Amino acid sequence: MGPDSVPGPAVSWRKVLWERQPFPDNYVDQRFLEELRRNEGIRQYRYWAVVKEAGFVGQQLSCVAIFITLWLYMEQGLLSPEMLLWTSLISGLLGYGLHQVLISQEESSCEPRTRLADLQSATIFLSFTFGFSPVLKTLTESVSTDTVYAMSAVMLLAHLVSFPYAQPSPRGSLSINAALFASVCLASRLPGALHTFAMLSCALLVFALWPCLLQKIREKAPSHFTGVCVGVCIIGVGGLGSQSPGGAILLALALGSVTLLCPLLLVRLQRHKDNIHGPWDEAEIHEDLSRFIH
Amino acid sequence: MGQRRRGAALNASSQTKCGTPAEVSGRKHNICMVSDFFYPNMGGVESHIYQLSQCLIEKGHKVIIITHAYGRRKGIRYLTNGLKVYYLPLQVMYNQSTATTCFHSLPLLRCVFIRERITVVHAHSSFSAMAHDALFHAKTMGLNTVFTDHSLFGFADVSSVLTNKLLTVSLCDTNHIVCVSYTSKENTVLRATLNPEIVSVIPNAVDPTDFTPDPSQRQDDRITIVVISRLVYRKGIDLLGGIIPELCLKHPDLHFLIGGEGPKRIVLEEVREKYQLHDRVRLLGALEHKDVRGVLVQGHIFLNTSLTEAFCMAIVEGASCGLQVVSTRVGGIPEVLPEDLITLCEPTVRSLCAGLEAVIVRQRSGSVPSPASIHARVRNLYTWRNVAERTEKVYERVAGEEVLPLDRRLRRLRAHCGPVAGSIFAFVAVLDFLFLLLLQWLVPDQVMDVAVDATGPCGLWTQTPNSKEEIHAASAMRGSSGTQSSL
Repeated sequence: MGPDSVPGPAVSWRKVLWERQPFPDNYVDQRFLEELRRNEGIRQYRYWAVVKEAGFVGQQLSCVAIFITLWLYMEQGLLSPEMLLWTSLISGLLGYGLHQVLISQEESSCEPRTRLADLQSATIFLSFTFGFSPVLKTLTESVSTDTVYAMSAVMLLAHLVSFPYAQPSPRGSLSINAALFASVCLASRLPGALHTFAMLSCALLVFALWPCLLQKIREKAPSHFTGVCVGVCIIGVGGLGSQSPGGAILLALALGSVTLLCPLLLVRLQRHKDNIHGPWDEAEIHEDLSRFIH
Repeated sequence: MGQRRRGAALNASSQTKCGTPAEVSGRKHNICMVSDFFYPNMGGVESHIYQLSQCLIEKGHKVIIITHAYGRRKGIRYLTNGLKVYYLPLQVMYNQSTATTCFHSLPLLRCVFIRERITVVHAHSSFSAMAHDALFHAKTMGLNTVFTDHSLFGFADVSSVLTNKLLTVSLCDTNHIVCVSYTSKENTVLRATLNPEIVSVIPNAVDPTDFTPDPSQRQDDRITIVVISRLVYRKGIDLLGGIIPELCLKHPDLHFLIGGEGPKRIVLEEVREKYQLHDRVRLLGALEHKDVRGVLVQGHIFLNTSLTEAFCMAIVEGASCGLQVVSTRVGGIPEVLPEDLITLCEPTVRSLCAGLEAVIVRQRSGSVPSPASIHARVRNLYTWRNVAERTEKVYERVAGEEVLPLDRRLRRLRAHCGPVAGSIFAFVAVLDFLFLLLLQWLVPDQVMDVAVDATGPCGLWTQTPNSKEEIHAASAMRGSSGTQSSL
């Protein structure tokens, strides 16, 4: 049958190729596209739920602001490295205690890390950082300060962009590396080796350990999560405000758009979503097939 | 645009010596098949183009094929029955597809279209950049266009959004589109936002004489499952890697025969290693087309685990060799074989294992139809003659249609493809038209030689040129068209 042949008698059309049917090749049946499915499995977002999730992004932004504030204080000599080290140590211990409390609530089948192992890695990291801080201090001496600042800015931005907000527990290696690279750059512009050591320990606390703790809070105590995020945001804006009011206003605007405006856009634009599925879609393999090999 | 051409009047140098039906049975078409994919590349599209061309030649049409140069295979080659293939010197970019700039192929393609007095340009495969280029230039030159889509494509990711937009642009003023299954038609209509009335469904075909059963090749003390496919993700080889250990542990007399090559071979090798199945799972590596039948007839069951498929010739070949066919229910596969010749399963290991086991039980109890009876039923389902007849009707219809002149083409582009893409491609169409005018001024159509029409069972290619005119034409062609040799 070619196109536009005369349609045959009242036989109903079937979607099969193996049967010669009395219809032209370009025949369009009523059942054409009947298997088309639209917006299958779409998630309906609620505004405040999205805002709450966006709080994670906002607080990470504030963390970067807090780190920069601390660095500004150190650079101007308003904050002594001893003071920062003691504060870091105390907040680190407090955070570690809280983390242990939160972990002890879960009945995990696998063997948890022992305190000794934690102490070991902390000692190794701190002693190496302490030992290498004179080297790190002079590392970027031959590089101009502008370049160092630009590099730090780019790296902190990369940290924010590549941060795994959905699942921060095994941290994305790119984001943490970018953050530590930026910290080394900034720390090397501080007056002394002890300053560098204090700054790097602080960076470790802010960029590596704090997201772990926050993720645990999100899982175990969701009611407190929002409060913590708001608190971090206020500290961030306030701290930056004490050094540069303009920067604080920009940060507040950024936080507002990330946590309030963007969720609004997401919820609004959701209604324009038009996703089509049908028998032509490539089938997906949902099973775990690796068990047959390993 | 006034350069619309009709073939019949211009068939000046075509052979009429031994009474080819070219001028006997009314107007025939001068068809040009264009695709990046042709011999020596092998696959569904390639064999479709070759077989369809042969059947159209048999029906008295003139057919030529245009593809890009494959390594040292460049210039003009002749295949069986004087089927002329142009291997054009265009740069291959990715996956055997040429690079496209919308313009650089125009001089070569115009030269071929005019010398061969082409009336219908038939492009194949949406993955082929050359096919889209040819459609674009053919429309600028005022030729009728047909496009055959051989594959399915999703809508979800960025790459498909982009390619679907390009397809919309390419097909919005193409005269007729051919798809290989109803599912493929739905897919293409949605992707290119087409009017479904200009899309015909013409399935692929299988040469039944190539795939005959031979039960004597089977070993009766065992049950053999045959898989013949490229070993890639889209063919569901990961599923196969799950099926093999599941079934081999349950049925000690089960053997697998796997033909094909690809990146997923490692999965099958690991499974074979882990479960110590070296004597029961044989990996044959890449198979040539002529060897496929020899492998198929050794099996009892043909298994296809594809995750997406527009038509799937493999299951027809399997059934034609008298095997029981088990396949995933994806794409156009449910349309291909009647329910009693195929067992359809969901694309999961569990469902495929259940389907295979049901067939194994039936095979053991001897309640399956004989290979000869299956072959007899499948033999006449899909033939290339039928495909050619139906394609011929598409050409008839297309020849009666008008090719949009430039102003209406521009309006169609802008109305159909959105304000941004539509305007961009309307601009490109204008540039293409100006480029064509320049080429026509440099080398007017009238001074181009007409190529000798050698097509047909008793065309020129079987004879020695004996009239002065022919010698002149043949030497002119040899002089300007690069290497010429026959296969």
